[in-house]
Amino acid sequence: MNKDNDILKWFNGEISTEEIKTMYPNEDFSALEKAGFYSKQIETPHIDAKKALADFKTRSLNKTKKETSKVVPLNYKMLLRVAAIVVLMLTCSYFIFFNTEASYKTGVAETTTLNLPDDSEVVLNAKSQLTYNKKEWDNQRLLTLDGEAYFKVTKGKKFTVNTDAGSVEVLGTQFNVKERRNFFEVKCYEGSVAVTYNNETTVLAPGKTVRVVSGKMIKIDDFTSQNPSWINEESSFNNVPLWQVIEDLQLQYNIKIKVANGVDTSQLFSGSFTHKDKNIALKAVTIPLKLSYKINGNDVEFYNYGAN
Amino acid sequence: MANKHPNLCEEEHFNAFYLEHIKAVNNFAFYKSGDKSVALDLVQDAFSKIWENCSSVDYTKAKTYLFTTVNNLFLNIVRHQKVVLTYAKASPYLDKTNQTPEYLLEEEEFKNKLQAVIADLSEEQREVFLLNRIEDKKYREIAELLGVSQKTVEKRMSAALKILREKLNNKTI
Repeated sequence: MNKDNDILKWFNGEISTEEIKTMYPNEDFSALEKAGFYSKQIETPHIDAKKALADFKTRSLNKTKKETSKVVPLNYKMLLRVAAIVVLMLTCSYFIFFNTEASYKTGVAETTTLNLPDDSEVVLNAKSQLTYNKKEWDNQRLLTLDGEAYFKVTKGKKFTVNTDAGSVEVLGTQFNVKERRNFFEVKCYEGSVAVTYNNETTVLAPGKTVRVVSGKMIKIDDFTSQNPSWINEESSFNNVPLWQVIEDLQLQYNIKIKVANGVDTSQLFSGSFTHKDKNIALKAVTIPLKLSYKINGNDVEFYNYGAN
Repeated sequence: MANKHPNLCEEEHFNAFYLEHIKAVNNFAFYKSGDKSVALDLVQDAFSKIWENCSSVDYTKAKTYLFTTVNNLFLNIVRHQKVVLTYAKASPYLDKTNQTPEYLLEEEEFKNKLQAVIADLSEEQREVFLLNRIEDKKYREIAELLGVSQKTVEKRMSAALKILREKLNNKTI
């Protein structure tokens, strides 16, 4: 520490070379001494001050000239920039203030609960999408659904759920809408629900179900449960074709189900499967139908029991 | 006040100011950048800044302003550049009595190493070291010039000397 300070003083001319050598006789200062000596000889750029000044004068003259001729295009560019920013801000504000579409989406094996602006509650089942217009909500309670959802609607104006298959209108009630390929089902749990399918309107009382399979309206027995089974992490079915059950299994477990030759997928299934355990769920579906299954990664194959 | 000090907006005074400082500031820029043409560019830019703002630059502080501007301009350009140092021609050797070819060769080799080590220093260490060596400036003067404390200058110098000692000793072994 002290030595470093002394070396600093030496280079600052406060201590002479002889002095530092006597102070630290065991230290070899030759490298530093040489470094100090030779670095003094490093060439500095030779500069002709008068010429540099002359260069400087022409340079700054050119510069001012350039600047005056550039004034117009510069402002023009500036104008374009400002215009671009204004357009950008207008577009942004349009999306922020006017585009009031709200959208919710669930992935495979995922459910989500959301509250609508009027405190109505929607539980969205796996692989479903729900959209509505926030701004129009006060005038018109209108939603678009793709997939399956359970609604608890607070009392108020007409509440409409549109799907590709048909639409559901209610006042204040609890109901479940399930829309799949070739499958549309509405269950009413409370209040009354008006279901329109192919311009034909059916009014459902609590415990009643409307189900349309492949374009045909099917009559279903009354049910007594208070809310859909999938809310309790279970899917239950009442005389539902096997292919529809398979589709739901695929949604809940992210698996791909193949069916071996000889298995009738239009046979009806009544029962339920859990969302918690894949094996139990697969057994719950296959055993009552006298089927068996093989799992291979994400692929599952159903085949007739005893056929293999 | 305008009567007390020369006004930089008058060309005569500006020219005098320019001629007085061009060499020192150019060297300073060179120690920093290690490149002659970059150094001159920086210096000319700095002078034109002063010329443009001549009315607001206080004459007594113009020199500090000049050096600070060079410093700032330097920081704006690409930081890492190849530092090119050369020795002034016909440099005498340390031991003037020993002129054996072997000694001369060794010294030449040492000078090359030294050059490389100085070029390798950080730009802050190099400027302090070279201002001290080439311009024979005291740490206090360097601190004033750079607008930092003398302690900072000493720290940088100390770091530079440490690097020099380590690298030069290592290489000679």
